[in-house]
Amino acid sequence: MAETKHIEPDLSFVRGLMEAGGDTVNKCYQCATCSVVCPLSTEERAFPRKEMLWAQWGLASKIAGDADVWLCHQCGDCSAYCPRDAKPGDVLGAIRLNAIKYYAEPKALSEMLSNSAGVIGTVVAAFIVWFIVAFLWSLHTGESFPFPEGTVAYHKILTFVPIDLIVLPIVALVVWASWKGISNFWNDISAGSGMVSYTGTGPKPAIGPLFSKYLIPALQEIFAHKRFEECGQTKERAKGHKLLLWSFIMLFIVTGLVFVINDIIYVPLFHEHFTPMPLWNPIKIFANVAAIMLIVGIWMIYQMRKQKTEEGVLKSSEQDWILIWLIFAVGATGIGAELFRLMNIAVLAYPIYILHLATVVTLFLAVPYSKFAHLLYRTTAYVYQRYEEDMKAGKAGFGMEKEVLPVGEEAQEEGKE
Amino acid sequence: MSDSILVIGGGFSGITAAVEAAEMGYDVYLVEKESYLGGRVAQLNKYFPKLCPPTCGLEMNFKRIKTNPRITFYTLADVESVSGGPGNFNVTIKVKPRGTTPQCTNCKAGEAAAKTEVPDEFNFGLSTRKPIYMPHPMAYPNQCVLDTENAAPDEIEAIKAAMPAGHIDTSQSEETVNLNVGAIIVATGWKPYDPNKITNLKFSEYENVITNMMMERLASPSGPTGGKVLRPSDNEEPKSVGFVQCAGSRDVNHLGFCSYICCMATLKQITYLKEQNPDIECYVFYIDIRSPGRKYENFYKKVKEMDKVHFIKGKVADILPGSAPGSVKLVAEDTIGGGKKEQEVDLAVLATGMQPVGAESKIPGIEYDADGFVVPKEGIIPCGCAMRPIDVVSSGQSATAAALKAVQTIARRAG
Repeated sequence: MAETKHIEPDLSFVRGLMEAGGDTVNKCYQCATCSVVCPLSTEERAFPRKEMLWAQWGLASKIAGDADVWLCHQCGDCSAYCPRDAKPGDVLGAIRLNAIKYYAEPKALSEMLSNSAGVIGTVVAAFIVWFIVAFLWSLHTGESFPFPEGTVAYHKILTFVPIDLIVLPIVALVVWASWKGISNFWNDISAGSGMVSYTGTGPKPAIGPLFSKYLIPALQEIFAHKRFEECGQTKERAKGHKLLLWSFIMLFIVTGLVFVINDIIYVPLFHEHFTPMPLWNPIKIFANVAAIMLIVGIWMIYQMRKQKTEEGVLKSSEQDWILIWLIFAVGATGIGAELFRLMNIAVLAYPIYILHLATVVTLFLAVPYSKFAHLLYRTTAYVYQRYEEDMKAGKAGFGMEKEVLPVGEEAQEEGKE
Repeated sequence: MSDSILVIGGGFSGITAAVEAAEMGYDVYLVEKESYLGGRVAQLNKYFPKLCPPTCGLEMNFKRIKTNPRITFYTLADVESVSGGPGNFNVTIKVKPRGTTPQCTNCKAGEAAAKTEVPDEFNFGLSTRKPIYMPHPMAYPNQCVLDTENAAPDEIEAIKAAMPAGHIDTSQSEETVNLNVGAIIVATGWKPYDPNKITNLKFSEYENVITNMMMERLASPSGPTGGKVLRPSDNEEPKSVGFVQCAGSRDVNHLGFCSYICCMATLKQITYLKEQNPDIECYVFYIDIRSPGRKYENFYKKVKEMDKVHFIKGKVADILPGSAPGSVKLVAEDTIGGGKKEQEVDLAVLATGMQPVGAESKIPGIEYDADGFVVPKEGIIPCGCAMRPIDVVSSGQSATAAALKAVQTIARRAG
């Protein structure tokens, strides 16, 4: 007699998935066309056929332990060829949205940031908070409120001190929630791939190899959009996404630079503000290029998603649109604040600047709690895929990392091959 | 009011319906668009599960037609329109000229005189034919056809000159026949689903990817290879053959329904291959094997137990060039063993499904559903694959049932 295995279907999981946009999951009859036509599906653990079965059966823990759903970029090839119109691409999209909610902590924030009303409410609330903070700060600085006198300069209404006081705790929350989500996800996918030690924990690479062997190559792949560009039906979508990703990286660099130059060096030492930078400043040029890339990128993504949704190639959930509009709002208010500052129109410049701060904070807060979290989990899945390969080859995991050669030597070894 | 019955389609279902109705004492008109009776069955090598040749059933029915004066049949004939109602249908039929006379039962001399060669439809283009030809060796009526569309006037003259006097008749022209009938049996049958529409299988790119109906012709003693299964690119005997099940069937992008016969056809074709070479490797890629009923289930069991027959649960969704010349790789996910698989084979067979003829050519006055199957109405009775995808046995049964229904339509009105 073969061993009997009892399956406990989690029906609420199936229902939740169907509500999140995976309502076609039950049409699947497991022919596996999807796994073959998928340009990203791997040889030994092809997807998305197995995910469709697990989802139908309500095997929530199997899905949770599956890194493969994050290797999908929802190009829609599988849905186009699916003989049953079961739309595996959309089902995987819904699985990912639910996974983000599952790993989010506290859950209330993910509930809030996964619907339009909640996001608009958050932006409005953030606007009010910034407004009050600016008012209190004006009492301290003695500038007139809400429109400081003279040429428009945003440090007149809010300097880095109140901004950092508000933003840094949010940064801490986002970092904590992201870390927690990633670690739980890591443990689940380790269990899912059977790579757990006898103590029941998933092995993790040491910090050195994590960066040199797994994270950096994964990031290189992500920055180049190597896999996204292999997608068939929605190849064009990768272009806008790439532009957007690069603009985010550039803006992140600018923010970091300004934080160090202005908040840490300039103001404490010279008692004057580094910002606003003149337009010829290389940092400013860099930032403006990034801002234009952001607007163009998000517009391309919007157009492509709209077109492909209308054509029925892929389905778009509320969360997809929320993220697009939120990013668009960040870009538009950012550029608006800069333009009105240059035009010196105080009545428009200051409110738009406050609105910009509100949208930026909301977008940042959304990192672990909304669709934006795909950057955390997809990157983790990319890293894990490499790590798992090494574990299966006996080159990593379970204390094997110690034998990993230093990066330089390793490169030489590869060169010899 | 009319007591006669029209049967549209002279395949296995139509012939059966016609003889059954005629033997009940009714006048029957049988209309066939090809130049011969027998339809798709005539193209088969063997029936499943008994593995007897199609002549078994067809010969007997041809004899029943020949000996029954109540049956009038037209070949190369199309039903142009149907009007009226039960008991009183008016039907217009266009009969194309055959270009020959009934004594023309052998056209070797004409073939030798003809230059033009066109793909032979009967063999799905696996061979060619001349503009004068016998549709196939067992053709009934056993009379050659002159294909004036594919021959220049001087070539026709040359053929006429080469043939015995009185065999070729170029004076024939298209005729219109008007009939008044009491009931209509629609047995227009099916055609193999066009494999070029399944774009991911790239049928036209590979010579050694054939359809299951092409396989029937290759295996048939009257086929282009004399009954030996050889692959088209080099006429070599394949050492491995892959079967791609559900090629176009059970697919909302193609045929939304199960074509019912393709699983059994594949199992049957494995027996052809094993008879030719017991060492041949056969790979069957499937979603589900559908072998309904005790006899078919036993047949499946028998084939499954054969040596070197592999069943892989997973649909082929891509075909790549193989490493050996002419070979192809079938790509599927083995959903039981796990993992994506590329299976190299010498010859691949697409188990294409049955598309009802009504999907692409509809007869005005007859109602069809979205797939192209005939919608039954009082006095308009579909049978065989015009009704739903079925095997030969069920086609015969449905034809007998249709004959009875047609008789009832007339008898009720007369009573």
